[in-house]
Amino acid sequence: MSFHHLDQFATVPSPVTAMPPVARLVGATSVAVGAATLPLGAWPAAAALGALVAAMTLLARVPVPLLLRRMSGPLAFVLLASAGLLVFVPGDPVLDLGWVAVTRPGVERFGFVLARAVVALSAAVLLVTTTEFPDLLDALRRLRLPRVVTTALSLAYRLLYLLMEELERLLRAARSRNAGAGAASRRRLAAGVAAAVLQRAFARAERTHRAMLARGYQGELATLTEWRWRAWMVAALATLLGLVLVTAVLARG
Amino acid sequence: MTAPLVEIRELGFHYPDGTPALDGVSLAVARGERVAVLGPTGSGKSTLLQHLNGLLRPTAGGVWIEGVTVDAGPGLSDIRRKVGLVFQDPNDQLFLPTLMEDVAFGPLNDGVGPVDAAARATAMLRELGLDGVGARAAHHLSGGERRLAALATVLVSRPVVLALDEPTGDLDARGRMRLVDLLRARGETLLVATHDLTLARALCGRGVVLYGGRVVADRELGALLADRALLERYGLESPSGE
Repeated sequence: MSFHHLDQFATVPSPVTAMPPVARLVGATSVAVGAATLPLGAWPAAAALGALVAAMTLLARVPVPLLLRRMSGPLAFVLLASAGLLVFVPGDPVLDLGWVAVTRPGVERFGFVLARAVVALSAAVLLVTTTEFPDLLDALRRLRLPRVVTTALSLAYRLLYLLMEELERLLRAARSRNAGAGAASRRRLAAGVAAAVLQRAFARAERTHRAMLARGYQGELATLTEWRWRAWMVAALATLLGLVLVTAVLARG
Repeated sequence: MTAPLVEIRELGFHYPDGTPALDGVSLAVARGERVAVLGPTGSGKSTLLQHLNGLLRPTAGGVWIEGVTVDAGPGLSDIRRKVGLVFQDPNDQLFLPTLMEDVAFGPLNDGVGPVDAAARATAMLRELGLDGVGARAAHHLSGGERRLAALATVLVSRPVVLALDEPTGDLDARGRMRLVDLLRARGETLLVATHDLTLARALCGRGVVLYGGRVVADRELGALLADRALLERYGLESPSGE
């Protein structure tokens, strides 16, 4: 079990990875929010924002299949959550399923919700694929996200790996004793392992807090990173934000 | 006669559930001395070390570093800079996304600016042979590298006392020798809590045996290790090769 590859394109030299993380974060967020708030039926605007993300993906040299694969998980949730639109939006039926009918307005609305989600998710996935987590955290700090949130995220990032290691160890130990054969046994094993990992997580958190205090921690997590802004970076971010804004305004016009 | 660097007087400690951990521990450690705190699991070694920089508060007696009481007063941050505590599990100590941030954590908390903290962290990593791994997360390091990295996070603050809790837990023979050479070459006063008597012999000149939270022996390490009856009585194994 490993997710070491999550930000593997963060070190690939490209105009996208050359931008300060805060610019990447602001850019991706503006595209995602711009897409998510498009009025229903604004297909040209959705296509324009989609094209913007596609251009960024090419510039960042991220393979499109990889991007699509990473989007598939969250997209499945969107599909599941919005599938009801197909049948619950009243209108002309286009497909009769016997006890329920798929309607034309339902298909349109479902399609547009999906399009918005694809654009917003692709922007978010592109961001995490091209930005290392520590840089992302630094960007959040610079955007004045509350310290308590960035500190919690920072510690959670490291703790997540430790918990995965604990989980692997526990599962290996359980399997070595033939645990988990049969559905009921697997369920019991999962519950037991989850409880043990939770218990260890609390103990680990207590020890880590002591280790922090031992090195002078007084409630504020100071950082090392310093990024330099250049004129082209400011211009690129301003252009991106401008495009998103114009698209949003035109979509409502 | 100069005052001891570390002075522990009649130290007692009970955990919140009432479990006694230390009972009347007294110990004086001179500057530059290297002391092995020996004892079986549960004898109170880790608990004792955590009193040295105020992580745990005594229920009786006290601890003094360079004559200053270790308590919750304004001097605590200075005490924590002077006493570098390396925990038993390096993962407890490497909690930030990159090794560089972990090593710079102490200096940044001491008020050192980001540029100087980064320079000190880089120099420390180089000194321990970890140059080139500063940008990596701890989960990308080997067990031996993690152990050295945990040491780096403490040494970078230039402590006067180094307290190591079971420092060879996950090291092979080569890793152990590397650690011993590294610590021998440094001048810090050393307290090493361990049941690894081979390490103790290679590193320390004095041995203190804790058993049931009490000091049951405190003498020159060679003499202590030669006392087979004492080692056996307190659940300690003779160093390898004997």
